[in-house]
Amino acid sequence: MNPPSKNSGVARDVDLDLDRLLRSASKAKDEAPAEMPFGFDTRIVALSRKNGNGSALAGVLRYVALAAAAVILLASAGAYLEFNRNADPIIGAGNEYAIADSVIQNEVAP
Amino acid sequence: MADLDAAELVSAALHHDDEAARELVRRLYPLVAKMVRSHRPRRTSEEDLCQMIFIKIFQKLKQFSGKVPLEHWVSRVAVNTCLSQIESERVRPELRHADLSEEEQAVVENLAASSEELAPDRQLGSRQLVEHLLEILKPAERLVIDLLYLQGRSVEEIHEITGLGVAAIKVRAFRARQKMKAQLEKIGAGRTA
Repeated sequence: MNPPSKNSGVARDVDLDLDRLLRSASKAKDEAPAEMPFGFDTRIVALSRKNGNGSALAGVLRYVALAAAAVILLASAGAYLEFNRNADPIIGAGNEYAIADSVIQNEVAP
Repeated sequence: MADLDAAELVSAALHHDDEAARELVRRLYPLVAKMVRSHRPRRTSEEDLCQMIFIKIFQKLKQFSGKVPLEHWVSRVAVNTCLSQIESERVRPELRHADLSEEEQAVVENLAASSEELAPDRQLGSRQLVEHLLEILKPAERLVIDLLYLQGRSVEEIHEITGLGVAAIKVRAFRARQKMKAQLEKIGAGRTA
């Protein structure tokens, strides 16, 4: 526990002031009852139905985008596998001497 | 429609029953309006924000599982919408003594003059002053102070309404109080300057 500082009295006062202020503010009554404006319910239902059609379209678009992403992923995986299968066995083995030998033979050969 | 319970109304509204949807709006309006009044950023009118919240409620109605009471779920949607609205209208001005109304200045004088509870005729001024102080806080801090001190909710209730953890609520309340105290001190100093 820290020893009380010179300002601790002031800090305590502000703390109490804030508590008194908040207590008083919490007792203030709401000025008007929460009455629904006329026709509000009908407006909300109409707007949400309108937005609902928009979200249906968004759902279709999302589905199309997901399907496209899946196709791209499959194509990329296929291309990668195909590339690996057709890779030069010498390069695949990583034998540098064999590579150099192959290049020299190609250069010297008539 | 009036005798149906909330779950039945939700189910009917999801099956495009407009009358059930309207009844749902009528039932939930007082709750949403109350939440909006507590958190409304100044520039957004109450009706606009209520409308925004109800549109969101209907957009997400399919996600309502029925595991929690509908009122809690709606409160959470309302609170989150208010918070994002406050965030989008982020204004955290420095509050000066000269900016206060006469009622608010009188409250500051009373706080400085005596350590007694404020008189009942100062409640409105107190409320206005607290609303001014809340404007300097981050939205989440504002929410916690409002629920904890102005609405008198428990930490557990706030956890249910907002989804925030108990520790996070306490930390936010502490930080918010520090900021409010600093601002209150500054206003008090401005009074004597």
